[in-house]
Amino acid sequence: MSGAAPALSVRRLRKAFGAVVAVDDVSLDAAPGEFLSLLGPSGCGKSTLLRMVAGLVEPDGGQVVLAGEDITRVAVHRRNLGLVFQSYALFPHMTVQENVAFGLRRRGVGEPELRPRVERMLDLVRLGPLGARYPRELSGGQQQRVALARALVTEPRVLLLDEPLSNLDALLRDEMRVELKRLQERLGTTMIFVTHDQAEALILSDRVVVMEHGRVEQIGRPEEVYRRPATAFVARFLGRANFLTGTVAESEAGRTVVALEGGGLSVVAGPRSGLVAGQPVHAVVRQESIRLEPAGDGAGPGAAGTNRFAATIVFHAFAGQAHHYVVQLGNGRELEVTAPGASLPLARGARALVAWRPEDVTLLAGGPGPGGPR
Amino acid sequence: MRHRSGWWLLAPGLLLLLVAFVAPVAMMVPMSFRPYVPLVGITDGFTAGYYTKLLTDSYYLEIIGRTLALGFTVTLSTLVIGYPVAFFLARTPSRWRSWLTILVVFPLMLNLVVRTFGWIALLAQNGLVNQALRSLGVVGSPVKLLFNFAGLLIAMTHIFLPFMVLVLIGAIQNIPRDVEDAARVLGASWASTFCRVTLPLSAPGILSGSILVFVLTISALVTPRLLGGPTYQVMATLIYDEFLQRLNWPAGSAQALLLTLMVLALVYLSGRLARRTGARA
Repeated sequence: MSGAAPALSVRRLRKAFGAVVAVDDVSLDAAPGEFLSLLGPSGCGKSTLLRMVAGLVEPDGGQVVLAGEDITRVAVHRRNLGLVFQSYALFPHMTVQENVAFGLRRRGVGEPELRPRVERMLDLVRLGPLGARYPRELSGGQQQRVALARALVTEPRVLLLDEPLSNLDALLRDEMRVELKRLQERLGTTMIFVTHDQAEALILSDRVVVMEHGRVEQIGRPEEVYRRPATAFVARFLGRANFLTGTVAESEAGRTVVALEGGGLSVVAGPRSGLVAGQPVHAVVRQESIRLEPAGDGAGPGAAGTNRFAATIVFHAFAGQAHHYVVQLGNGRELEVTAPGASLPLARGARALVAWRPEDVTLLAGGPGPGGPR
Repeated sequence: MRHRSGWWLLAPGLLLLLVAFVAPVAMMVPMSFRPYVPLVGITDGFTAGYYTKLLTDSYYLEIIGRTLALGFTVTLSTLVIGYPVAFFLARTPSRWRSWLTILVVFPLMLNLVVRTFGWIALLAQNGLVNQALRSLGVVGSPVKLLFNFAGLLIAMTHIFLPFMVLVLIGAIQNIPRDVEDAARVLGASWASTFCRVTLPLSAPGILSGSILVFVLTISALVTPRLLGGPTYQVMATLIYDEFLQRLNWPAGSAQALLLTLMVLALVYLSGRLARRTGARA
């Protein structure tokens, strides 16, 4: 991020628990007002990273810099950050109002100023009339809103969110996502959001940090990490993708041709520098990038270099928004294809054509061996 | 129907309670109102004299007061000493934790009489404690630590400490760490977090540990008898003497019933207190 100084910088942060390296040399910046997600499977180190930023876990090395100030050695309670937990972590012996007022009281805010601030924040998260209740008298969604209000009322420099929506049921989660995003846009608070839910990360974030094994795999805008995954892990973790293994047949300005394993078929991709002929690669094609047409509409399988292939439907399932297919290509390779739910279904065994655009193919330098890094 | 059938699970316990507790106590009620004539024994008739004596005679009032005072001070000192220990044991990531916890329980495996005699050896005029105090120059002449309040307080604090610690460990372990972390991120220092979050959330454990130790203390017989001698009486030793030395069963019954009532009143009041704090916690 160029321009404004980052609201939060993490520089070469490291943490090991015994022999397990939880966070391995991670650096990243969050711009002021940015919504940054840390996305990865459980155990990838994203929560540990967040806790090191909060000061709850002491890093083995590296720095946490908040608005230009190195806070790596600053005590938790002096960092002026907000943290929302997956478990909500409300104070069960205090009312909603007392919960929200807690941070302000610790900062020495006097009662006359405190009361309106608490009430305004409770109104903002639509909990106005519930101030006198105790947390256990509230639903999960309401508790999470109290946790948000409690963290936001102190106007933290950065709000950290550790899987805040994971304990909510699906419907409520969708609702809270929208609410969280609108709250963030309205308040302009910089937010670091930890999640293992790729859809959540894509929907909410300005940028997504994809992590695996304590390392950053890719940082980018949601479209970038989804459309242009930098590694096989990112391609697999975000959405569903087909991995076609092959070798680079020709690499020229404008296009790259990959000869698929098993022979006979080749895939055309957009230009990609750094690849040389003969190099093993994976051609990654998203399920929904593949068009599926019934065979015999006149257009037959195209010549080499058009990404049009004859296929047979071997599996079909309807999932509401989409049809899921598994199709088999002429060389025996199977592809997973997602078609819009409104389209007419193709029956199992039907002959079809599959096609995709060269720009929908991502090429990843692959190791040798069949199947790739699955 | 489903609800009601569950009550059968309580039947063995209730039956035992009825036979071993409710029936004897109920039998003591008429006994406590019968006149006892020295050299004759328990006679027919009715008198409330043992109760009026208990509640007016300064001798008895002093013993009742002493028993209650002992109960409160022992409870308080086990709490003050036990809380840090329990906090450490509940929170330490050390792999020695289970061994340390066993160490807390270890004194309970030793016979009570042996432990009490140990304290006699320690607290006597020429005991280890006085020798140490004198050789360190803290005191000039031996401090009286036996047959008085101080001795009972020291010994009973030691004896009942494991109960307090065990109850508190459970209560402190039940406090979610996230809640404390939340307080710290919100700007509360360690001390502030402890006072405003940890301590209030361990209140249920503090309450049940206190009830346990208080009830055990005011009904303890062996330790007060051995460390208090025949003259420094508490209610339990008084009742024992009444029944087995003076054979004055009616007086003993009245005293025993009063002790039982005191315990029941305390359990009832703390139950209400727990419900009120529990409504918040």
